[in-house]
Amino acid sequence: MNETMRESLSAVLDGEANEVELERTLRLIGADAELRQTFIRYSAASAAVQGHAIDFPHLDVSQRVLRALEGERQQAPRLHQRLLRPLGGVAIAASVALTAVLGGQQLAQLGAVEAGSVSQTVAADPSPVGMVNALGATAVHARYGTQPVPVLQPAARTAYQELARQRMDRYMQEHAEHAALNTPQGLVLFARVPEIRR
Amino acid sequence: MGSFHAGLSKSLWGALLALFAATSVHGAACTAADTEVLAWLDRMSRSLENLSYHGTATLQRGGDVQVLRVYHLVEGDNSSERLVQLTGQGAQVEREAHALTCLHPGQRMLRLAQSQDEDPCGIARYYRVSLGAEERVAGRNALELRVQPGDMYRFGYRMALDRETGLLLKAQTLDNADRVLETFQFADLAYARADRGQEAPSVVHRARHPGSAAGTAEAPLLPRAWIVRWLPAGFRATDAAPERSARRTFTDGLAVFSIFLEQPANTMLPGEGVVRQGGTISYTRGMQLDGQPVLVTVLGEVPVNTARMVADSIAWVQ
Repeated sequence: MNETMRESLSAVLDGEANEVELERTLRLIGADAELRQTFIRYSAASAAVQGHAIDFPHLDVSQRVLRALEGERQQAPRLHQRLLRPLGGVAIAASVALTAVLGGQQLAQLGAVEAGSVSQTVAADPSPVGMVNALGATAVHARYGTQPVPVLQPAARTAYQELARQRMDRYMQEHAEHAALNTPQGLVLFARVPEIRR
Repeated sequence: MGSFHAGLSKSLWGALLALFAATSVHGAACTAADTEVLAWLDRMSRSLENLSYHGTATLQRGGDVQVLRVYHLVEGDNSSERLVQLTGQGAQVEREAHALTCLHPGQRMLRLAQSQDEDPCGIARYYRVSLGAEERVAGRNALELRVQPGDMYRFGYRMALDRETGLLLKAQTLDNADRVLETFQFADLAYARADRGQEAPSVVHRARHPGSAAGTAEAPLLPRAWIVRWLPAGFRATDAAPERSARRTFTDGLAVFSIFLEQPANTMLPGEGVVRQGGTISYTRGMQLDGQPVLVTVLGEVPVNTARMVADSIAWVQ
Protein backbone atom coordinates (compact mmCIF):
# COMPACT_ATOMS: atom_id res chain seq x y z
CA MET A 1 0.00 0.00 0.00
CA ASN A 2 1.51 3.32 -1.03
CA GLU A 3 1.34 6.54 0.92
CA THR A 4 -1.38 8.15 -1.21
CA MET A 5 -3.55 5.08 -0.80
CA ARG A 6 -2.96 5.05 2.93
CA GLU A 7 -4.07 8.67 3.07
CA SER A 8 -7.20 7.94 1.04
CA LEU A 9 -8.09 5.02 3.26
CA SER A 10 -7.46 7.11 6.32
CA ALA A 11 -9.70 9.86 4.92
CA VAL A 12 -12.50 7.38 4.36
CA LEU A 13 -12.12 5.85 7.80
CA ASP A 14 -12.02 9.30 9.34
CA GLY A 15 -15.12 10.38 7.46
CA GLU A 16 -13.16 13.10 5.71
CA ALA A 17 -13.51 11.78 2.19
CA ASN A 18 -15.99 13.47 -0.14
CA GLU A 19 -18.29 11.43 -2.32
CA VAL A 20 -15.88 11.22 -5.25
CA GLU A 21 -13.00 10.18 -3.00
CA LEU A 22 -15.20 7.70 -1.21
CA GLU A 23 -16.33 6.05 -4.45
CA ARG A 24 -12.79 5.99 -5.79
CA THR A 25 -11.40 4.48 -2.59
CA LEU A 26 -14.11 1.87 -2.38
CA ARG A 27 -13.35 0.94 -6.00
CA LEU A 28 -9.64 0.61 -5.21
CA ILE A 29 -10.40 -1.39 -2.09
CA GLY A 30 -12.39 -3.75 -4.27
CA ALA A 31 -9.35 -4.30 -6.50
CA ASP A 32 -6.62 -4.48 -3.85
CA ALA A 33 -6.61 -7.45 -1.47
CA GLU A 34 -4.25 -5.93 1.07
CA LEU A 35 -6.24 -2.73 1.21
CA ARG A 36 -9.41 -4.75 1.50
CA GLN A 37 -8.07 -6.70 4.46
CA THR A 38 -7.09 -3.51 6.25
CA PHE A 39 -10.47 -1.96 5.57
CA ILE A 40 -12.34 -5.11 6.63
CA ARG A 41 -10.47 -5.36 9.88
CA TYR A 42 -11.13 -1.76 10.78
CA SER A 43 -14.69 -1.43 9.68
CA ALA A 44 -15.58 -4.82 11.17
CA ALA A 45 -15.09 -3.44 14.65
CA SER A 46 -18.10 -1.26 14.10
CA ALA A 47 -20.37 -4.09 13.07
CA ALA A 48 -20.67 -5.27 16.65
CA VAL A 49 -22.56 -2.18 17.46
CA GLN A 50 -26.21 -1.82 16.80
CA GLY A 51 -27.29 1.54 15.53
CA HIS A 52 -24.95 4.08 14.07
CA ALA A 53 -23.86 6.54 16.72
CA ILE A 54 -21.03 4.55 18.22
CA ASP A 55 -19.15 5.83 21.18
CA PHE A 56 -16.36 3.62 22.45
CA PRO A 57 -13.89 5.71 24.36
CA HIS A 58 -10.37 5.29 22.94
CA LEU A 59 -11.43 2.85 20.24
CA ASP A 60 -8.47 3.04 17.91
CA VAL A 61 -10.60 2.90 14.82
CA SER A 62 -12.47 6.03 13.95
CA GLN A 63 -16.18 5.44 13.70
CA ARG A 64 -16.88 8.53 11.70
CA VAL A 65 -16.77 6.61 8.48
CA LEU A 66 -20.13 5.15 9.41
CA ARG A 67 -21.68 8.53 9.91
CA ALA A 68 -20.06 9.68 6.70
CA LEU A 69 -21.59 6.78 4.86
CA GLU A 70 -24.93 7.56 6.47
CA GLY A 71 -24.65 11.15 5.32
CA GLU A 72 -23.61 10.13 1.83
CA ARG A 73 -26.63 7.88 1.55
CA GLN A 74 -28.96 10.78 1.86
CA GLN A 75 -27.04 12.99 -0.55
CA ALA A 76 -26.04 10.50 -3.20
CA PRO A 77 -28.77 8.27 -4.55
CA ARG A 78 -26.41 6.26 -6.74
CA LEU A 79 -24.18 5.47 -3.84
CA HIS A 80 -27.29 4.83 -1.77
CA GLN A 81 -28.46 2.22 -4.25
CA ARG A 82 -25.04 0.62 -4.27
CA LEU A 83 -24.49 0.62 -0.56
CA LEU A 84 -27.87 0.05 0.99
CA ARG A 85 -27.97 -3.70 0.79
CA PRO A 86 -28.64 -5.31 4.15
CA LEU A 87 -26.53 -8.28 5.19
CA GLY A 88 -28.22 -11.06 7.14
CA GLY A 89 -30.20 -8.65 9.26
CA VAL A 90 -27.10 -6.79 10.35
CA ALA A 91 -28.06 -3.84 8.26
CA ILE A 92 -25.53 -1.43 9.50
CA ALA A 93 -23.17 0.79 7.69
CA ALA A 94 -19.98 -1.23 8.07
CA SER A 95 -21.57 -4.39 6.71
CA VAL A 96 -23.21 -2.37 3.98
CA ALA A 97 -19.87 -0.96 2.94
CA LEU A 98 -18.38 -4.42 2.97
CA THR A 99 -21.16 -5.75 0.83
CA ALA A 100 -20.50 -2.98 -1.64
CA VAL A 101 -16.80 -3.75 -1.73
CA LEU A 102 -16.88 -7.53 -1.77
CA GLY A 103 -20.28 -8.23 -3.18
CA GLY A 104 -22.70 -10.50 -1.38
CA GLN A 105 -21.40 -13.64 -3.05
CA GLN A 106 -17.81 -13.01 -2.03
CA LEU A 107 -18.87 -12.30 1.52
CA ALA A 108 -20.84 -15.54 1.62
CA GLN A 109 -17.77 -17.43 0.37
CA LEU A 110 -15.67 -15.72 3.00
CA GLY A 111 -18.08 -16.94 5.66
CA ALA A 112 -18.16 -20.48 4.24
CA VAL A 113 -14.38 -20.77 4.17
CA GLU A 114 -14.18 -19.49 7.72
CA ALA A 115 -16.84 -21.88 8.99
CA GLY A 116 -15.24 -24.81 7.15
CA SER A 117 -11.78 -24.37 8.55
CA VAL A 118 -13.19 -23.78 12.01
CA SER A 119 -15.01 -27.09 12.13
CA GLN A 120 -11.89 -28.88 10.88
CA THR A 121 -9.78 -27.32 13.58
CA VAL A 122 -12.31 -28.07 16.26
CA ALA A 123 -12.71 -31.66 15.11
CA ALA A 124 -8.95 -32.22 15.39
CA ASP A 125 -8.85 -30.54 18.75
CA PRO A 126 -9.91 -32.38 21.89
CA SER A 127 -9.74 -29.19 23.92
CA PRO A 128 -12.67 -28.98 26.35
CA VAL A 129 -12.98 -25.27 25.69
CA GLY A 130 -13.44 -25.98 22.00
CA MET A 131 -13.02 -22.34 21.12
CA VAL A 132 -9.33 -21.80 20.67
CA ASN A 133 -8.14 -22.53 17.20
CA ALA A 134 -5.89 -21.05 14.59
CA LEU A 135 -8.54 -18.50 13.72
CA GLY A 136 -9.06 -17.26 17.24
CA ALA A 137 -12.75 -17.12 17.99
CA THR A 138 -15.49 -19.28 16.71
CA ALA A 139 -19.06 -18.72 17.68
CA VAL A 140 -20.08 -21.76 19.66
CA HIS A 141 -22.83 -22.61 22.07
CA ALA A 142 -21.56 -22.17 25.60
CA ARG A 143 -20.88 -25.78 26.55
CA TYR A 144 -18.96 -24.87 29.64
CA GLY A 145 -19.92 -21.30 30.36
CA THR A 146 -22.97 -20.68 32.47
CA GLN A 147 -24.91 -18.52 30.03
CA PRO A 148 -25.73 -19.21 26.40
CA VAL A 149 -23.87 -17.09 23.91
CA PRO A 150 -25.72 -16.40 20.69
CA VAL A 151 -24.25 -17.71 17.47
CA LEU A 152 -23.25 -14.62 15.59
CA GLN A 153 -23.54 -13.50 12.03
CA PRO A 154 -20.12 -13.73 10.37
CA ALA A 155 -19.77 -9.97 10.28
CA ALA A 156 -20.48 -9.59 13.99
CA ARG A 157 -18.21 -12.52 14.77
CA THR A 158 -15.34 -10.91 12.92
CA ALA A 159 -16.20 -7.69 14.69
CA TYR A 160 -15.94 -9.23 18.14
CA GLN A 161 -12.68 -10.90 17.25
CA GLU A 162 -11.37 -7.54 16.14
CA LEU A 163 -12.56 -5.98 19.40
CA ALA A 164 -10.75 -8.72 21.35
CA ARG A 165 -7.57 -8.06 19.35
CA GLN A 166 -7.75 -4.31 19.94
CA ARG A 167 -8.32 -4.83 23.63
CA MET A 168 -5.34 -7.14 23.88
CA ASP A 169 -3.21 -4.32 22.41
CA ARG A 170 -4.76 -1.74 24.69
CA TYR A 171 -4.78 -3.61 27.99
CA MET A 172 -1.77 -5.92 27.82
CA GLN A 173 0.59 -3.46 29.45
CA GLU A 174 -1.69 -2.83 32.40
CA HIS A 175 -2.14 -6.58 32.79
CA ALA A 176 1.65 -7.07 32.66
CA GLU A 177 2.16 -4.51 35.47
CA HIS A 178 0.25 -6.79 37.81
CA ALA A 179 1.37 -10.13 36.34
CA ALA A 180 5.04 -9.11 36.72
CA LEU A 181 4.59 -8.72 40.48
CA ASN A 182 2.58 -11.89 40.96
CA THR A 183 4.17 -14.63 38.84
CA PRO A 184 7.64 -16.18 38.86
CA GLN A 185 8.75 -14.65 35.56
CA GLY A 186 8.71 -11.07 36.78
CA LEU A 187 9.45 -8.24 34.34
CA VAL A 188 9.91 -10.71 31.47
CA LEU A 189 6.13 -10.66 31.13
CA PHE A 190 6.35 -7.17 29.68
CA ALA A 191 7.81 -8.83 26.58
CA ARG A 192 4.22 -9.91 25.83
CA VAL A 193 3.10 -6.30 25.44
CA PRO A 194 2.67 -5.53 21.70
CA GLU A 195 4.01 -2.01 22.11
CA ILE A 196 5.42 -0.85 25.43
CA ARG A 197 4.34 2.69 26.24
CA ARG A 198 6.17 5.09 28.46
CA MET B 1 -37.29 -46.55 62.88
CA GLY B 2 -37.54 -43.09 61.49
CA SER B 3 -35.05 -41.77 63.99
CA PHE B 4 -32.68 -44.64 63.20
CA HIS B 5 -32.79 -43.75 59.55
CA ALA B 6 -32.34 -40.14 60.38
CA GLY B 7 -29.34 -41.01 62.55
CA LEU B 8 -27.81 -43.22 59.89
CA SER B 9 -28.25 -40.73 57.14
CA LYS B 10 -26.84 -38.03 59.38
CA SER B 11 -23.66 -39.99 60.05
CA LEU B 12 -23.45 -40.94 56.37
CA TRP B 13 -23.76 -37.31 55.51
CA GLY B 14 -21.00 -36.48 57.92
CA ALA B 15 -18.70 -39.09 56.43
CA LEU B 16 -19.51 -37.98 52.89
CA LEU B 17 -18.96 -34.36 53.76
CA ALA B 18 -15.61 -35.16 55.36
CA LEU B 19 -14.60 -37.11 52.27
CA PHE B 20 -15.80 -34.31 50.06
CA ALA B 21 -13.86 -31.73 52.01
CA ALA B 22 -10.72 -33.87 51.98
CA THR B 23 -10.67 -34.72 48.30
CA SER B 24 -13.08 -32.97 46.06
CA VAL B 25 -13.04 -29.33 47.04
CA HIS B 26 -9.30 -28.82 47.08
CA GLY B 27 -8.16 -31.87 45.14
CA ALA B 28 -6.15 -34.57 46.85
CA ALA B 29 -4.44 -33.69 50.12
CA CYS B 30 -0.79 -32.85 49.67
CA THR B 31 1.76 -35.57 50.09
CA ALA B 32 5.38 -35.70 51.20
CA ALA B 33 6.36 -35.53 47.52
CA ASP B 34 4.30 -32.36 47.17
CA THR B 35 6.10 -30.89 50.13
CA GLU B 36 9.44 -31.42 48.39
CA VAL B 37 8.22 -29.65 45.24
CA LEU B 38 6.64 -26.88 47.31
CA ALA B 39 10.03 -26.33 48.93
CA TRP B 40 11.52 -25.87 45.44
CA LEU B 41 8.78 -23.40 44.48
CA ASP B 42 9.45 -21.50 47.69
CA ARG B 43 13.13 -21.39 46.77
CA MET B 44 12.32 -20.26 43.24
CA SER B 45 10.17 -17.41 44.52
CA ARG B 46 12.89 -16.26 46.94
CA SER B 47 15.76 -16.46 44.46
CA LEU B 48 13.83 -14.41 41.91
CA GLU B 49 13.82 -11.51 44.37
CA ASN B 50 16.83 -12.04 46.62
CA LEU B 51 19.68 -12.80 44.20
CA SER B 52 21.71 -10.60 41.89
CA TYR B 53 21.86 -12.00 38.39
CA HIS B 54 21.83 -11.01 34.78
CA GLY B 55 21.49 -12.89 31.55
CA THR B 56 20.09 -13.22 28.08
CA ALA B 57 16.71 -14.86 27.75
CA THR B 58 14.23 -15.70 25.02
CA LEU B 59 10.47 -15.64 24.98
CA GLN B 60 8.95 -17.80 22.29
CA ARG B 61 5.27 -17.54 21.44
CA GLY B 62 4.27 -19.48 18.35
CA GLY B 63 6.63 -18.45 15.59
CA ASP B 64 7.64 -15.25 17.35
CA VAL B 65 10.89 -15.24 19.34
CA GLN B 66 12.02 -12.27 21.36
CA VAL B 67 15.53 -11.91 22.75
CA LEU B 68 15.78 -10.12 26.08
CA ARG B 69 18.41 -8.94 28.54
CA VAL B 70 17.42 -9.41 32.17
CA TYR B 71 19.15 -7.59 35.03
CA HIS B 72 18.37 -8.10 38.69
CA LEU B 73 20.39 -6.42 41.41
CA VAL B 74 20.02 -6.63 45.18
CA GLU B 75 21.46 -3.82 47.27
CA GLY B 76 20.73 -3.72 50.98
CA ASP B 77 17.01 -4.30 51.50
CA ASN B 78 15.99 -3.36 47.98
CA SER B 79 16.12 -4.86 44.54
CA SER B 80 16.21 -3.13 41.20
CA GLU B 81 15.61 -4.80 37.89
CA ARG B 82 15.62 -4.13 34.19
CA LEU B 83 14.30 -5.86 31.13
CA VAL B 84 15.68 -4.79 27.76
CA GLN B 85 14.29 -6.06 24.47
CA LEU B 86 17.16 -6.80 22.09
CA THR B 87 14.73 -7.52 19.27
CA GLY B 88 11.44 -6.04 18.17
CA GLN B 89 10.48 -2.76 19.74
CA GLY B 90 13.72 -2.47 21.76
CA ALA B 91 11.97 -1.09 24.83
CA GLN B 92 13.27 -1.14 28.40
CA VAL B 93 11.19 -1.75 31.49
CA GLU B 94 12.71 -0.98 34.86
CA ARG B 95 11.79 -1.16 38.50
CA GLU B 96 13.88 0.63 41.10
CA ALA B 97 14.04 0.25 44.86
CA HIS B 98 11.57 -2.58 45.34
CA ALA B 99 11.69 -3.62 49.01
CA LEU B 100 12.65 -7.28 49.46
CA THR B 101 10.01 -7.48 52.18
CA CYS B 102 7.28 -6.33 49.78
CA LEU B 103 5.54 -9.59 48.90
CA HIS B 104 2.64 -9.58 46.46
CA PRO B 105 -0.19 -12.14 46.72
CA GLY B 106 1.10 -14.26 43.84
CA GLN B 107 4.57 -14.52 45.38
CA ARG B 108 3.13 -15.29 48.78
CA MET B 109 1.21 -18.23 47.29
CA LEU B 110 4.48 -19.84 46.21
CA ARG B 111 6.12 -19.50 49.63
CA LEU B 112 5.85 -22.25 52.23
CA ALA B 113 3.24 -21.64 54.89
CA GLN B 114 4.61 -19.45 57.65
CA SER B 115 1.86 -20.02 60.19
CA GLN B 116 -0.95 -22.36 61.20
CA ASP B 117 -3.42 -20.11 59.42
CA GLU B 118 -1.81 -20.69 56.06
CA ASP B 119 -2.52 -23.77 53.95
CA PRO B 120 0.53 -26.06 54.10
CA CYS B 121 -0.39 -27.48 50.68
CA GLY B 122 -0.13 -24.11 48.93
CA ILE B 123 -0.61 -24.34 45.19
CA ALA B 124 -0.59 -28.17 45.41
CA ARG B 125 -4.31 -27.72 46.14
CA TYR B 126 -4.86 -26.57 42.57
CA TYR B 127 -1.99 -28.19 40.67
CA ARG B 128 -0.42 -31.63 40.65
CA VAL B 129 3.24 -30.92 41.13
CA SER B 130 6.11 -33.34 40.61
CA LEU B 131 9.86 -33.37 40.07
CA GLY B 132 11.12 -34.41 36.65
CA ALA B 133 14.50 -35.16 35.15
CA GLU B 134 17.75 -33.23 35.33
CA GLU B 135 18.55 -31.06 32.36
CA ARG B 136 20.94 -28.34 31.23
CA VAL B 137 19.61 -24.83 30.73
CA ALA B 138 21.84 -21.82 30.10
CA GLY B 139 24.86 -24.01 30.83
CA ARG B 140 23.61 -24.80 34.33
CA ASN B 141 22.33 -27.96 35.97
CA ALA B 142 18.61 -27.65 36.23
CA LEU B 143 15.81 -29.63 37.81
CA GLU B 144 12.56 -30.11 35.95
CA LEU B 145 9.33 -29.29 37.76
CA ARG B 146 6.04 -30.46 36.29
CA VAL B 147 2.98 -28.53 37.25
CA GLN B 148 -0.29 -29.98 35.94
CA PRO B 149 -3.60 -28.27 36.46
CA GLY B 150 -5.94 -29.91 38.96
CA ASP B 151 -8.97 -28.64 37.03
CA MET B 152 -9.82 -27.26 33.60
CA TYR B 153 -9.63 -23.63 34.65
CA ARG B 154 -5.85 -23.18 34.37
CA PHE B 155 -2.91 -24.15 32.19
CA GLY B 156 -0.03 -26.46 33.09
CA TYR B 157 3.64 -25.60 33.28
CA ARG B 158 6.97 -27.26 32.80
CA MET B 159 9.69 -25.42 34.64
CA ALA B 160 13.42 -25.85 35.05
CA LEU B 161 15.03 -24.47 38.20
CA ASP B 162 18.72 -23.91 38.81
CA ARG B 163 19.80 -26.83 41.02
CA GLU B 164 22.11 -24.59 42.96
CA THR B 165 19.95 -21.52 43.51
CA GLY B 166 16.38 -22.46 42.60
CA LEU B 167 16.17 -19.62 40.07
CA LEU B 168 13.64 -20.18 37.28
CA LEU B 169 15.74 -20.87 34.17
CA LYS B 170 12.98 -22.07 31.89
CA ALA B 171 9.18 -22.03 31.93
CA GLN B 172 6.77 -23.48 29.40
CA THR B 173 3.04 -22.92 29.44
CA LEU B 174 1.10 -25.98 28.30
CA ASP B 175 -2.50 -26.32 27.23
CA ASN B 176 -4.73 -29.22 28.25
CA ALA B 177 -3.35 -31.37 25.42
CA ASP B 178 0.21 -30.63 26.61
CA ARG B 179 0.94 -28.42 23.63
CA VAL B 180 3.47 -25.71 24.33
CA LEU B 181 1.86 -22.26 24.15
CA GLU B 182 4.82 -20.22 25.30
CA THR B 183 8.45 -20.82 26.29
CA PHE B 184 10.64 -18.54 28.36
CA GLN B 185 14.25 -19.52 28.95
CA PHE B 186 17.63 -18.14 29.80
CA ALA B 187 20.31 -18.68 27.14
CA ASP B 188 23.09 -17.49 29.44
CA LEU B 189 23.14 -16.39 33.04
CA ALA B 190 25.61 -15.01 35.56
CA TYR B 191 25.11 -14.53 39.29
CA ALA B 192 26.89 -11.24 39.67
CA ARG B 193 26.45 -7.50 39.55
CA ALA B 194 26.19 -6.41 35.97
CA ASP B 195 27.84 -3.38 34.50
CA ARG B 196 25.40 -1.04 32.87
CA GLY B 197 24.60 -2.61 29.48
CA GLN B 198 25.34 -0.92 26.18
CA GLU B 199 21.73 -1.12 25.04
CA ALA B 200 20.07 2.01 23.74
CA PRO B 201 16.38 1.38 24.41
CA SER B 202 13.80 3.02 22.18
CA VAL B 203 11.41 3.59 25.10
CA VAL B 204 11.97 3.39 28.84
CA HIS B 205 8.99 2.42 30.97
CA ARG B 206 9.08 2.46 34.75
CA ALA B 207 7.04 -0.49 35.95
CA ARG B 208 4.19 0.58 38.22
CA HIS B 209 3.54 -0.65 41.70
CA PRO B 210 0.13 -0.78 43.40
CA GLY B 211 -0.19 1.86 46.09
CA SER B 212 2.67 4.01 44.83
CA ALA B 213 2.19 7.49 43.40
CA ALA B 214 3.06 6.22 39.92
CA GLY B 215 0.18 3.76 40.28
CA THR B 216 -2.36 6.54 40.03
CA ALA B 217 -2.26 6.37 36.23
CA GLU B 218 -4.46 3.30 36.70
CA ALA B 219 -7.67 2.19 35.03
CA PRO B 220 -10.48 4.76 35.14
CA LEU B 221 -13.37 4.53 37.60
CA LEU B 222 -16.79 3.40 36.41
CA PRO B 223 -20.01 5.06 37.59
CA ARG B 224 -21.01 1.90 39.45
CA ALA B 225 -19.30 -0.70 41.63
CA TRP B 226 -19.13 -4.24 40.26
CA ILE B 227 -18.30 -7.68 41.54
CA VAL B 228 -17.01 -10.96 40.15
CA ARG B 229 -19.24 -13.71 41.53
CA TRP B 230 -17.19 -16.66 40.31
CA LEU B 231 -13.47 -17.27 40.32
CA PRO B 232 -11.67 -20.57 39.80
CA ALA B 233 -10.59 -22.04 43.15
CA GLY B 234 -7.37 -20.58 44.48
CA PHE B 235 -7.52 -17.25 42.62
CA ARG B 236 -7.23 -14.07 44.66
CA ALA B 237 -7.06 -10.38 43.83
CA THR B 238 -3.51 -9.13 43.23
CA ASP B 239 -4.23 -5.69 44.64
CA ALA B 240 -6.91 -3.70 46.39
CA ALA B 241 -8.46 -2.16 43.29
CA PRO B 242 -11.30 0.28 44.07
CA GLU B 243 -14.83 -1.12 43.81
CA ARG B 244 -15.49 1.05 40.76
CA SER B 245 -12.14 0.40 39.09
CA ALA B 246 -12.48 -0.57 35.42
CA ARG B 247 -9.83 -3.24 36.09
CA ARG B 248 -9.48 -6.17 38.48
CA THR B 249 -6.59 -8.65 38.45
CA PHE B 250 -6.49 -12.15 39.98
CA THR B 251 -3.77 -14.75 40.45
CA ASP B 252 -3.30 -18.29 41.76
CA GLY B 253 0.47 -17.81 42.05
CA LEU B 254 1.27 -19.06 38.55
CA ALA B 255 -1.50 -17.76 36.30
CA VAL B 256 -2.82 -14.20 36.21
CA PHE B 257 -5.84 -12.70 34.50
CA SER B 258 -7.28 -9.21 34.46
CA ILE B 259 -10.85 -8.14 33.84
CA PHE B 260 -11.56 -4.84 32.12
CA LEU B 261 -15.06 -3.41 32.06
CA GLU B 262 -16.22 -0.75 29.62
CA GLN B 263 -19.59 0.88 29.31
CA PRO B 264 -20.34 1.67 25.68
CA ALA B 265 -22.91 4.41 25.23
CA ASN B 266 -25.02 2.34 22.85
CA THR B 267 -26.58 -1.07 22.78
CA MET B 268 -24.52 -3.72 21.04
CA LEU B 269 -25.31 -7.00 19.42
CA PRO B 270 -24.48 -9.47 22.16
CA GLY B 271 -21.53 -11.67 21.31
CA GLU B 272 -18.00 -12.72 22.08
CA GLY B 273 -14.59 -12.84 20.46
CA VAL B 274 -11.23 -14.33 21.36
CA VAL B 275 -7.69 -13.85 20.20
CA ARG B 276 -4.68 -15.72 21.50
CA GLN B 277 -0.99 -14.80 21.62
CA GLY B 278 1.19 -17.53 23.11
CA GLY B 279 -0.26 -18.33 26.51
CA THR B 280 -2.34 -15.15 26.68
CA ILE B 281 -5.93 -14.81 25.56
CA SER B 282 -8.07 -11.76 25.16
CA TYR B 283 -11.75 -12.65 25.49
CA THR B 284 -14.16 -9.81 24.78
CA ARG B 285 -17.87 -10.13 25.48
CA GLY B 286 -20.65 -7.69 24.77
CA MET B 287 -23.65 -8.10 27.04
CA GLN B 288 -26.23 -6.35 29.18
CA LEU B 289 -26.07 -5.97 32.95
CA ASP B 290 -29.33 -4.74 34.41
CA GLY B 291 -30.23 -3.38 31.00
CA GLN B 292 -26.97 -1.48 30.66
CA PRO B 293 -24.64 -2.44 27.82
CA VAL B 294 -21.17 -3.50 28.95
CA LEU B 295 -18.10 -4.75 27.16
CA VAL B 296 -16.12 -7.15 29.31
CA THR B 297 -12.59 -8.19 28.42
CA VAL B 298 -10.82 -10.97 30.28
CA LEU B 299 -7.13 -10.84 29.44
CA GLY B 300 -4.64 -13.31 30.81
CA GLU B 301 -2.96 -16.67 30.91
CA VAL B 302 -6.02 -18.89 31.36
CA PRO B 303 -8.12 -21.11 29.06
CA VAL B 304 -10.93 -19.42 27.14
CA ASN B 305 -13.59 -21.20 29.14
CA THR B 306 -12.28 -19.70 32.37
CA ALA B 307 -12.47 -16.27 30.82
CA ARG B 308 -16.02 -16.91 29.66
CA MET B 309 -17.19 -18.12 33.04
CA VAL B 310 -15.59 -15.18 34.79
CA ALA B 311 -17.25 -12.80 32.32
CA ASP B 312 -20.60 -14.56 32.92
CA SER B 313 -20.32 -13.92 36.64
CA ILE B 314 -19.88 -10.16 36.57
CA ALA B 315 -22.65 -8.15 38.19
CA TRP B 316 -23.30 -4.63 39.40
CA VAL B 317 -23.28 -4.12 43.13
CA GLN B 318 -26.91 -3.44 44.05
